[in-house]
Amino acid sequence: MNPTVVKISDLKVHYPIRKGFFSFGKPQTLKAVDGISFELKEGEILGLVGESGCGKSSLGRAIIRLVDATSGKVDIQGIDFLALKGKALKAKRPQIQMIFQDPYASLDPRMTVFDILAEPVKAHMKLSSKELEERIKKYLELVNLPVKALKKYPHEFSGGQRQRICIARALILEPKIVVADEPVSALDVSVQAQILNLLKDIQQKLNLTMIFISHNLSVVKYISDRIAVMYLGKIVEIGSRQDIFASPRHPYTQALISAVPIPDPKTERNRVRVPLIGEIPSPINPPSGCTFHTRCPFAVAHCKEAIPRLENVAQNPAWQVSCWEANLV
Amino acid sequence: MKPILEIKNFQAHFHTRRGIVKAVDDISYQILPGETLGIVGESGSGKSVSQLSYLRLLPSPPLKIVGGEVLFHGKDLLKMTAEELRQVRGNKISMIFQEPMTSLNPYMKVGTQLIEPLLIHRGHSQEEAWKKGILELKRVGISDPEKAMSKYPHEFSGGMRQRVMIAMALTTDPELLIADEPTTALDVTVQAQILDILKNIQKQTKMAILLITHDLGVIAGLADHVVVMYAGRVFEKGTAADIFEKSQHPYSRALLKSTPRIDAIQTQLPVIAGTIPDLSKLPPGCPFYDRCENRMDICRSVFPPKKAIDPGHETYCYAEMSR
Ligand SMILES: Nc1ncnc2c1ncn2[C@@H]1O[C@H](COP(=O)(O)OP(=O)(O)OP(=O)(O)O)[C@@H](O)[C@H]1O
Ligand SMILES: Nc1ncnc2c1ncn2[C@@H]1O[C@H](COP(=O)(O)OP(=O)(O)OP(=O)(O)O)[C@@H](O)[C@H]1O
Ligand SMILES: [Mg+2]
Ligand SMILES: [Mg+2]
Repeated sequence: MNPTVVKISDLKVHYPIRKGFFSFGKPQTLKAVDGISFELKEGEILGLVGESGCGKSSLGRAIIRLVDATSGKVDIQGIDFLALKGKALKAKRPQIQMIFQDPYASLDPRMTVFDILAEPVKAHMKLSSKELEERIKKYLELVNLPVKALKKYPHEFSGGQRQRICIARALILEPKIVVADEPVSALDVSVQAQILNLLKDIQQKLNLTMIFISHNLSVVKYISDRIAVMYLGKIVEIGSRQDIFASPRHPYTQALISAVPIPDPKTERNRVRVPLIGEIPSPINPPSGCTFHTRCPFAVAHCKEAIPRLENVAQNPAWQVSCWEANLV
Repeated sequence: MKPILEIKNFQAHFHTRRGIVKAVDDISYQILPGETLGIVGESGSGKSVSQLSYLRLLPSPPLKIVGGEVLFHGKDLLKMTAEELRQVRGNKISMIFQEPMTSLNPYMKVGTQLIEPLLIHRGHSQEEAWKKGILELKRVGISDPEKAMSKYPHEFSGGMRQRVMIAMALTTDPELLIADEPTTALDVTVQAQILDILKNIQKQTKMAILLITHDLGVIAGLADHVVVMYAGRVFEKGTAADIFEKSQHPYSRALLKSTPRIDAIQTQLPVIAGTIPDLSKLPPGCPFYDRCENRMDICRSVFPPKKAIDPGHETYCYAEMSR
């Protein structure tokens, strides 16, 4: 069994909400991430899914310290990453990198590809100019871009090529862990497939550990080993790809999966969906008890009152669901 | 049955400083009353421009309609006066777009915007129109529609705003609804709700829906007929079964194969190499030539003529594909 490289414990991201200028009441908080724990084994891809606003990006950003966690721990190879400061932090940072959705916004339009790739290397490593160039070329090749791309600027590339540049930049410091936040959501189907295959290849080649955030369940199914389903800042179900897609136990997981359209008219027209009423409630005043009860087709009185915890399914600690009514056998 | 809308050899180009962008380059298809026609194709293939141009919703210049006919009940929309077109657009032909915020006025109450077409096109009194507005909001699944009428757009979630847009498009009981990526910005759960609403309303009113999307799954669930577009051209058209099960065009097939699906385990996605070409520098032949696995020499010089496969199933490709 591969060693655990990431261990997240009871992580919380609460944003303070500033109400109107003249409102004096108690300051409110928005609980974007509200007590999340999970582990990642080396070389594993965890897919993180859930509706818009459920806290996926906040979780990803808190892990790499782009936003401050309110509380909780992120252990990376046994080191408490969130507690690191100064030099120790600078030394550890390269090991954990992020890829974003929008390859347009995340590249400086005034820098050439060479400079974009050289920047992180210069900040973290002492290399001769020859070594620097070799390294840059190696990573350019890894993402299948030609050497002549080095002299060009971001606007000279298509969306898919720009995402390749972002991937090369994220990998050039040889991170152990990559958080990819909707990396293919802005891309067309044909380009999306190219980037997904590239990410999968590279992940295997470099034995990367990855958190892959997406609202697209078909994409997540294709790329992930394990899946975590989030709802209003909490994980409601987590398990292997096989288990989650073959026999989802949480009604929310079931509803999400059944809502994904299938590109086959015969199948798609004869599907029975798990109906979901309404939309995700505001995380400022989340519902009581199980926060999903307001939309759950199976909710009973108890669900309104008591908060469920993650429990093992089929006595398998790698498959957990948080639902009072779920079948745990 | 006579088609409600018939597009014949329609061409619309942008004349820009960079050159002529052939966004819509000789497309033909039709839509029958009560049916749903799905238009698929990757970003930039001309799906939106092909509708917006004949509805005169794009600034001209740079847009220039180069040729063809767009017949609505047999009358050419391209030849109508501005006033005649206004009688049709937003009335018998309604539209919903992807981003509701850009089509809703943020400073006007939802109700006021919703009933505007009724006041303009139907000559309803304010009171009559307001009542109909409430019914429309109810029909698209908005709870407490009376209260919703007096709210402003920003007080709604994305899904609710899209419902308001649909309600607005439906107030005049259009015969044709053009829905351009109506659910692309929404979560799948909300998308499923909205598509159900559209299906139910279509069942009751028999309106035709022209549904533009890049999501093949959405098309599979709704469309009776499908048009596959690429680089301003129609590559293939047919019934949903023709396109999804018996496609005879390498692009349609490749697109379908490269789509991740939730009902399958895919170990490797077959990809289409490269990207869509620059529409201002199109080669003379088939614009898919560079990326096509079935390309032949002739494809490079002359765009393929129409090839009939079955009644209603047509492709534009020289290659003989296995069936
Ligand atoms: N900096 C911030 N300040 C206050 N609230 C925030 C901030 N960032 C995010 N939020 C709120 O936190 C919640 C979770 O947001 P987050 O972006 O993490 O969700 P997400 O799951 O990534 O959604 P999406 O799928 O739309 O990207 C949302 O209600 C959002 O409005
Ligand atoms: N005002 C304009 N001037 C020049 N070119 C334009 C203009 N508007 C659109 N185009 C070009 O026309 C082509 C077709 O665009 P269109 O918006 O119809 O594509 P689409 O199929 O709807 O794509 P998407 O899926 O991204 O909505 C694109 O190449 C686009 O860049
Ligand atoms: Mg996000
Ligand atoms: Mg469009």
